[in-house]
Amino acid sequence: MQVSFSTKSIYGLGRLGSDPDSVLDRNAYGITVDAESFYSRNALEGYGVTAFDAGGARERCRKLLRDCARHGVSISAMRMPRLRWDTKRTDLRELLLQIGTEGIDACAGAGCGNLVIQPLFSGIPRALLWQENHRYYAALGRKARQAGVRILLENQCGHVNGHLVRGVCADAAVAAEWIDTLNEELEAEVFGFCLDTQACSLCRQDMGEMAAYLGEKVKAVLVRECDGVHEACRLPFTGINAAGYDMDWSGLVRGLRKSAFDGILIMDASDTLRGFSHLFRPQVYTLIRSVADYLQWQIGMERCIRESAARVLFGAGKMCRQYMAHYAENYPPLFLCDNDPSRWGTKVCGVEVRPPEALRDLPEEVVVMICNTFYEETAAQLKALGVKKIGAFSDECLP
Amino acid sequence: MHTLSVGVQSSNIIHDEHPFEGFEMLGRAGFTCCDFSLNNYLPGAELYAHRRNDFFDRPLPALKAFFARHREAAKAAGIRINQMHMPYPGYVPGAPDSINEYLAKVMAPKSMEICAFFDCPYIVIHGFKPAGDSGSERESWERTEAFLKTLAPMAKALHITICLENLYVSRGNHIVEGPCCDAAKAAARIDRINEEAGAEVLGFCFDTGHANLIGLDFEDFLTTLGDRIKTLHIHDNDGIEDLHQIPFTFARNRENKASTDWNGFLAGLAGIGFDKVLSFETGPALSAFPDRMKQDALRLIAQIGEFFAGEIREKQAASGSD
Repeated sequence: MQVSFSTKSIYGLGRLGSDPDSVLDRNAYGITVDAESFYSRNALEGYGVTAFDAGGARERCRKLLRDCARHGVSISAMRMPRLRWDTKRTDLRELLLQIGTEGIDACAGAGCGNLVIQPLFSGIPRALLWQENHRYYAALGRKARQAGVRILLENQCGHVNGHLVRGVCADAAVAAEWIDTLNEELEAEVFGFCLDTQACSLCRQDMGEMAAYLGEKVKAVLVRECDGVHEACRLPFTGINAAGYDMDWSGLVRGLRKSAFDGILIMDASDTLRGFSHLFRPQVYTLIRSVADYLQWQIGMERCIRESAARVLFGAGKMCRQYMAHYAENYPPLFLCDNDPSRWGTKVCGVEVRPPEALRDLPEEVVVMICNTFYEETAAQLKALGVKKIGAFSDECLP
Repeated sequence: MHTLSVGVQSSNIIHDEHPFEGFEMLGRAGFTCCDFSLNNYLPGAELYAHRRNDFFDRPLPALKAFFARHREAAKAAGIRINQMHMPYPGYVPGAPDSINEYLAKVMAPKSMEICAFFDCPYIVIHGFKPAGDSGSERESWERTEAFLKTLAPMAKALHITICLENLYVSRGNHIVEGPCCDAAKAAARIDRINEEAGAEVLGFCFDTGHANLIGLDFEDFLTTLGDRIKTLHIHDNDGIEDLHQIPFTFARNRENKASTDWNGFLAGLAGIGFDKVLSFETGPALSAFPDRMKQDALRLIAQIGEFFAGEIREKQAASGSD
């Protein structure tokens, strides 16, 4: 799984690689080039009607790609320009096809394997949606296959006089069918899905159920929060009041665990970043990175448990009992460990508690799952004992 | 061949002390049908607090005696009770077994008997909501199905179709799709249970307000469920809260056009050949009007129903499905 920051969440794109306060840490994160950073939706809406320097936008985008290459910044994905959900333009299909084609070339040139392209919807009767999109994606897909680029469809909102409702590809079953058909026709896995959490929230969809249904087709998740009524790109967990959170991030984590998600988490916290004085940017970037790391860890936790040859749990308290309740049936631990001598020799949920010294002889392929919240301290202790494979368990998003 | 009729829920109109007045009011407003709000007799808010009243403790003959005046009043006013709402929830996660057993073994079967007493062919139930924030759709459906299967033989014997309704759930500070919001899954489940029962014991109640809250595509949803749609809960909201207001009440931008997809609703109903009751679940809207305006408010609702019926007939005639 890779964490990637949308260019909408990065200030100073022109100083890429030289900004010490940037959200990027080249060793750990990639970026997702969101073409909206260059072609705004309003610009596309006014295309051919009001002045828009398409050539300039294209050149700024190319410069960023060159800068990324020069500074060793990995480009995980690109998102092509999108029409507004309330657009009345029905004449831009050829332009979108042209931009999409250019996007494939740009991706291939930049070594980027994933390109998010919005489905067509404007002015298309319901009965013809698949037919029109089939033609559109098939044309793009043939080029993408040659270029070694994967095209990701994305769930959209529709629009009823100001009310955002479920749009194209919002139905997971329909999206899955489209992707399967396109891939079968091209005899290659050219198409996948990018799950936009904001669109899910606006349409009150259960993100977890949707992620689980789409399974391995989900190659990227566009992580952004809104209040379920208005469009926004906020940092997860920032929308809360006395009633609770604005979005169900735990549900998303559970859904992505079910599908063993191993794709790209695209963080777009552009509105949160914009809301703060520029003086706070370093702190906000730090918070964005922390939230991204947290989600990556939570989603990947089950994979760590599942893919390890055997497990030992460190900590024999409440979190250990939660592990036993939810995972012991399929992934039983060899034994438990605890620093508390009074627990040594006792059993928790039928499993023996041993002293930390018992870990010295552990085979390398056995993972020790830390079952307490002192993750850093415990990890240091485990390393000192020679443990090679360390995992961190959390009971925050359990089924 | 049935014809489209117009009905409204009994909440805030029919009162136990003088049911004749309420049904006469409905008749004067232009309704010919009524969705009887049996759910008012065992309030859900109380159940969620793990409390219940003793209304359904009465023996069946006593319950029938209690509702005899309602039945007589409806008949006198020329109103048909075409659907009723079973008290909900039918299962309270985390409640003592005594409450959930009571709901399954006392409330539900007696509701079915009362439904039959009114010669009412449809009873609407709520599928069970997941326990807490982490329950899965599959788990909550399995529990719902077990509940339905205990009622299926009774439904068959009494010639009643139990209708599942699309719901939402509240999680923290937001609303998210709840039971029965996946039309394809609902259709498959209804077909399977009906086949097992050897009768049409299960159908669907499409709730426009709930669908609007979670951004469902009305036409697509109705088309997928087709003739499994037996009843309707027609009401409107702002897309944010479940307000149960009168259709065409809300706009969301300065074009001031309805922000609920009524065109999709009518197209969907016309497309599936819907020929039953256009039933409004707008009891809460009536509490917003002064008492002296209630009759006029009801008349407006009935007129909207008549408008809907006319539009559906026109569409059906145009497509040759009439």
